[in-house]
Amino acid sequence: MSQLILETRELSKAFGGLIAVDKVDMAIDSDKITAIIGPNGAGKTTLFNLITGVYPATGGDIFLNGKSLKRIPVHKRVSLGIARTFQNALLFGNMTALENIMTGLHSRSSYGFLEAALRLPKAHREEEDIMLKATKYLNLVGLGTNARQNALSLPLGQQKLLAIARALATEPRLILLDEPGAGLNTLEKRELSDLIHRIRDMGISVILVEHDMPLVMGIAERIIVLDTGKKIAEGTAAEIQKDPKVIAAYLGEDED
Amino acid sequence: MRLKWYYPIIGALVALLIVMPFDWFPGHYTTLMIFIAINTMVTVGLCLLLGYTGQVSLGHAAFYGIGAYFSAILSKTYSLNPWLAMLIAAIATGAFAYVIGYPIFRLKGNYLAVATLCLGVILYILFRQLGQFTGGPDGISGIPYLSIGGFVFDSSFKRYFLVWFFCLSVLFISQNIVNSRTGRALRAIHGSEDAAESIGINVDRFKVKIFVLSAVYASLAGSLFAHHVTHVSPSTFSPMASVIVVVMAVIGGLASIWGAIFGAGTVVTLKYEVLLEFGELEIVIYGLILMLVMIFMPAGLFVWLKELYERLRLRRVRRRAET
Repeated sequence: MSQLILETRELSKAFGGLIAVDKVDMAIDSDKITAIIGPNGAGKTTLFNLITGVYPATGGDIFLNGKSLKRIPVHKRVSLGIARTFQNALLFGNMTALENIMTGLHSRSSYGFLEAALRLPKAHREEEDIMLKATKYLNLVGLGTNARQNALSLPLGQQKLLAIARALATEPRLILLDEPGAGLNTLEKRELSDLIHRIRDMGISVILVEHDMPLVMGIAERIIVLDTGKKIAEGTAAEIQKDPKVIAAYLGEDED
Repeated sequence: MRLKWYYPIIGALVALLIVMPFDWFPGHYTTLMIFIAINTMVTVGLCLLLGYTGQVSLGHAAFYGIGAYFSAILSKTYSLNPWLAMLIAAIATGAFAYVIGYPIFRLKGNYLAVATLCLGVILYILFRQLGQFTGGPDGISGIPYLSIGGFVFDSSFKRYFLVWFFCLSVLFISQNIVNSRTGRALRAIHGSEDAAESIGINVDRFKVKIFVLSAVYASLAGSLFAHHVTHVSPSTFSPMASVIVVVMAVIGGLASIWGAIFGAGTVVTLKYEVLLEFGELEIVIYGLILMLVMIFMPAGLFVWLKELYERLRLRRVRRRAET
């Protein structure tokens, strides 16, 4: 029996006169890998930014496990269990790979300024725990041997995996992946699909925005199609491929 | 803790620090070293803010000044215990930084730089114009020395150890913060604010926190300055002084805690030993140094020397490998 993790009701976002997301209703099952697809400018990334709280919605509401996220700031949504990655990995270039993930554990540790300044036992204990967990996530994405390397010195494919590991380190219930496959080669894409399956098996719900259709059709168990801010179709890969509205959105309609 | 190559160097420097103020040590650098320690404290705060968190402040002399004037006024005019005056100064400066921190950090980059510069200018004008409290352009004289029990810090020799105790404590605390959860959050903000926010870091709060900490460092340094020189006047806390703090931080290497001593040491030594002869040209020379460092050694002189050492060692090894 699957359960809803995330729900949006009439979710809208307007930038001045431009309506980027237009009354989108979605219900995301917790145990399925969901993909959001659509042509450029369809509002996919804006939708992510609404869910994570980067933009306030101009209409409608978002519910995580039935609880409204209205007026909850970005960093608090993370502790509620929403994690995300970005189109360009946005790693911290002034840190090693391991430190990037350790930073990801920020919201799952609590020692503060004073404990850090005086190196009190609590800081020491938590640091060890953070290091241990970070190493675990680094190994999960297969970058264990790159721990001490500067994050930005890694090839792009590994940077993207590292960004996913950093997001996983926030111990989310739901992870939003923004074009995880962009810029990856075939081998790296295969590793990525494996990883996404493993994330799902860890009990974390996955939503991804992706342009790479073979990748999407291969892993997504449910697909939502957006066009000019509106949801135009929803279903399995086979259903979506047959949907005339989707074909029209991607290929354009006949003139007459 | 792992042993690093620079530990013996730090050990040697600390040993040197201990013996320097004694009479039998050649030269008389006690006063110079006191100023280096005081300036290091201000510089470390800026390193945390600018080097680690990536937030510029061109008004740090203002906090330095608030600390100095609070100490001066409370201990001289109101005859309060100097330690209590110092504590109140630090709390007041921290509270002030906290209150202005939230609005000021809505700004980024150049706008933040201009806002903090204005802060420095405004405070400087206040120091000059609030004559009934601050003594106007003449400042306040006859500030009492610090003392513990019956022991009065009434000579440079005694104050040397006091000031360096504070300075090294501040460095130690800062180093611990950098290597902690908080330090990582600060560096994350420098790396990418969007990414930092996306993993649950409250970006605004951490910016304000580190701003407050660096203001408190500057305030403590100001208090120590007041009780050392026993005289404060506005010119010490001019906007130019804020710029010089930036020069010190840059020379020391922005993202390097112990580099702060190096930066402050270089600038203070230049100021008192060399540049006094140049008069007004002093400012031009600072500008030149800042430009040269930014162009040729963007990581700071300290880091540059460290890398030079590594390069030379590598070359030596290579040459040996060839023969």
